[in-house]
Amino acid sequence: MYGWTGKLLHVDLTRGICERREIPTEILHAYLGGRGLGVRLMRDYFRLGPFEPDLPLIFAVGPLCGSNSPTAARLSCVSRSPLTGTIYDCSAGGRFAWRLKAAGLDAVFITGKSPQPVFLSIDPARDELHPAQLLWGKGVKETVAALSERGSVTTIGPAGENGVLFANIMMGEGNSIGRGGLGAVMGAKGLKAITAQGDGTTAIADKERFDRARGDVMRLFRASPVIFGELGIAEYGTPALVDLMAQRRMAPTENFRSTFFADSGNYSGPAIRKECGAKKEGCYGCPIQCKKASAAGEPLPEYETVNHFGGLNGISDLHAIVKANSLCNELGLDTISAAATLSAFGEARGRFPDAAEVASLLADIAYRHGQGELLSLGSRRMAELLGKPELSMSVKSLELPAYDPRGAYGMALAYVTSNRGGCHLRAYPISHEILRKPVPTDRFSFSGKARIIKIAEDVNAAVDSLVACKFAFFGATLEEYGELISAVTGVEYGPESLKAIGERIYLTERFYNCANGFSHTHDMLPRRFFEEAGSAGEGIDVPPIDRARFEEELQKYYRIRGLDEDGRFGDRDLLAELP
Amino acid sequence: MRDQISKYTGKLLADRSACVDGIAFAAQDDVLIAAGAPELAALAGATLSRLNSLALVAARPSLPFADFLIARAGQGEECIVPQDTETRTFLHDIPFLRRKDLAGDAAPILARLLGNRKGVIVEGVGIVAVGAITVEQSFINYSSVFHSTFVKYLQDVLVDGFLLPGEREAFDSFRQEWLRPLSASGLDFVGALSLEKEEILAEIERVGRYTVERGLVDSFFGNISAVAGERIYISQTAASLDELKGCIDPVPADNSSTTGITASSELLAHRKIYEQTGARVILHGHPKFSVVMSMLCDKKAECAIKDCWKDCPHVRELGGTPVVAGEIGAGGLAKRVPPVIGASGSAIVYGHGVFTLGREGFGEAFAAMVDVENFCREEYFRRLGSTNGSKSDC
Ligand code: SF4
Ligand SMILES: [Zn+2]
Ligand SMILES: [Zn+2]
Repeated sequence: MYGWTGKLLHVDLTRGICERREIPTEILHAYLGGRGLGVRLMRDYFRLGPFEPDLPLIFAVGPLCGSNSPTAARLSCVSRSPLTGTIYDCSAGGRFAWRLKAAGLDAVFITGKSPQPVFLSIDPARDELHPAQLLWGKGVKETVAALSERGSVTTIGPAGENGVLFANIMMGEGNSIGRGGLGAVMGAKGLKAITAQGDGTTAIADKERFDRARGDVMRLFRASPVIFGELGIAEYGTPALVDLMAQRRMAPTENFRSTFFADSGNYSGPAIRKECGAKKEGCYGCPIQCKKASAAGEPLPEYETVNHFGGLNGISDLHAIVKANSLCNELGLDTISAAATLSAFGEARGRFPDAAEVASLLADIAYRHGQGELLSLGSRRMAELLGKPELSMSVKSLELPAYDPRGAYGMALAYVTSNRGGCHLRAYPISHEILRKPVPTDRFSFSGKARIIKIAEDVNAAVDSLVACKFAFFGATLEEYGELISAVTGVEYGPESLKAIGERIYLTERFYNCANGFSHTHDMLPRRFFEEAGSAGEGIDVPPIDRARFEEELQKYYRIRGLDEDGRFGDRDLLAELP
Repeated sequence: MRDQISKYTGKLLADRSACVDGIAFAAQDDVLIAAGAPELAALAGATLSRLNSLALVAARPSLPFADFLIARAGQGEECIVPQDTETRTFLHDIPFLRRKDLAGDAAPILARLLGNRKGVIVEGVGIVAVGAITVEQSFINYSSVFHSTFVKYLQDVLVDGFLLPGEREAFDSFRQEWLRPLSASGLDFVGALSLEKEEILAEIERVGRYTVERGLVDSFFGNISAVAGERIYISQTAASLDELKGCIDPVPADNSSTTGITASSELLAHRKIYEQTGARVILHGHPKFSVVMSMLCDKKAECAIKDCWKDCPHVRELGGTPVVAGEIGAGGLAKRVPPVIGASGSAIVYGHGVFTLGREGFGEAFAAMVDVENFCREEYFRRLGSTNGSKSDC
């Protein structure tokens, strides 16, 4: 077989069994890999609670992984989120994905619960579980160092072990499987870490066609100001957005009470470069290299993280922000949810935490000490327990990232239609509403947005299944990636057929969520955005969102998706229609 | 979306790329609408309803070049491969449908082709182009296809002469009726541009409009900038030259802020040109005859380089204007244009377009671009006249 390995590693932690199995070819063709494959493999388990032992935790790479396709050394991790209760997937880059593929696998399916802490080593010669009592309680760096001779490592930190609802799974190279708390799912299974090594290569069906398609992708990267432009993400990383979001008056500040932070220049892309001597780093095998590290090799924060540990908490000290980021990485905490939860906490008690308090609270969260116990539940549960539910700036309990929805109406809609809660990456409307790619749209208008969001969700579901990085699509399109995957697998795919696969994945996720009780009521933004204005300035007005117009567009979206007024499937049995 | 459809119908008429009675758009939100010439509108609607995209245009180009390209194509060929850089980068190739393959309902076949490409040509019907997320995008893709078929046809005619009945007559009428004289006369420019932000923005907007109104470039392709002290004012990426209001980024010369991340992909080329020439303003567009002529090279036969458009290391020359190769964006043109543009005030990029500068204001840059394009136009027809007689003419 070209592209895929056709193999899945089934791991039963309860019984201590590791076994390689075949994945049916039709499933691979119909769901590609990554998110799509993971979501399909959840079909018999999606009703299980996030901490039930039988709930699977799935790591899936895609057909492009291992092929030298730009940005494709990635995987998706899929399960059910303890934070949101929704189906959950997260795309992460790094050497681990590439090694997993080289070990001869398209996916790892982990089920059960180990009576004792264990780690899993994956190797074509032997896949096995090992005791991990000695690693339990250790931070991410130490765990990675202890296991590195077994290959590439992915692990949880103390936060995952202790069941923090927004605990990450961390890759050895600093990439993270973030946001939805899948680290806590892994911790509940008693699985501390996974290592992978192997020397398999990805077979390519048509090398000449592949080289041509790769050349086309690279040419579009070079033609894209956002990617390889002198002010773009290859140069400055995602903090290149700090100045832009400030100028556009949509940088969430002080728990979204305002949308402009006067000191954001302290943590802009150029400021980070100057202060931290940022050098280029990035996911394994990616030509863009958008991640930045300090001279000492410490990963530097992304846009979302600088904004949330910065303006969202009223903090302007760059070094405090960098430190908070490093702490989260070490403890295995999601930076966006951690910072947003602290911010909501700050507003609730009338005082945002200062830099020193942030550091101590982060440790408390990871170990669930003192106030950390409450904060470890995330902002929605915390705010409810404090009697101020309106202060959680989240959708479906997932804390919103650093694009204020009052400044981009497509983003407002996409936050609520996202199947994993308030996330910017599902439809990524920032691409056209702010970055003008592939073409600009009017950010203060809902016109056409329902259809645009629907299309983008389908596109991105396909992208997450290839698995490629969203940032590649600031330059390339599914046209070029369709060529790549056709060349690699020998199966013909094009933009429309890939979007059809994306739609299939998207609807499946929504179907799972509806079966678990989600409906129109959950597709809602926090009240603040409909009632309070953002910070006007530089000739830009940021009024509250018109609730009726928002609702009208959401209903359009439901119709385009074939859903009923409640955002549900009626008596349609979607799963029976799908491969 | 209806307002968008009328806006872009208007643009197709204004730039004379489509026939007055041959334009239709379809767009879908939660409902699908189709408007324009009835038969085309029906086709547009039926095709779009099969696609996971927002908009589609089906229009009959005002010139028969696309149809001629199909008729001239070899038996087994299914697509046209444009040679100009911009369209080649974004379109890759343009599939076509022959009249004889169009029996019955064309929509499903079209939808299949558009499932893989941004635009297709249907013989006897026109250009059909899709817009993934906006109506504007379908217009842009139509323009790209129109541009690249125009350029390719002119190239091919120069090499192979006229091959089909009626071709010469159509070409003559293109030359005598469709083409209009290009000039800068009667246009107002600020003589010496001040350092005032407001004046600079207004002047950039106005000059952008001029380039389109005078038929020098198509609305969507090109960029404009002016430098004022420590700041470069430059049109944004994916901005239409005739609608630059609110689409001009001020970029600090020392890169101390990244707000200019939305600036044109040619920002680096502009910056380097300013550094190396001391110019005040830069104009960049893709006038068609310049693009055609830039790809003519007498050394094609003996030269070892295959990808001329990016790899050619030579500085050639067209009427005193240097011609260099180089990819867009972070590719090569930012390296090759700045050293050569200073002397003549203009430079042509192989298969791509023209850069011109003004030392004080846009009057000089605009006039220079008109001159370059006029030279290339005359030179094209001169060469066609001298080669055409000797070519076989069925
Ligand atoms: S663009 Fe950045 S995030 Fe995406 S794959 Fe490359 S380095 Fe990783
Ligand atoms: Zn250009
Ligand atoms: Zn003849």
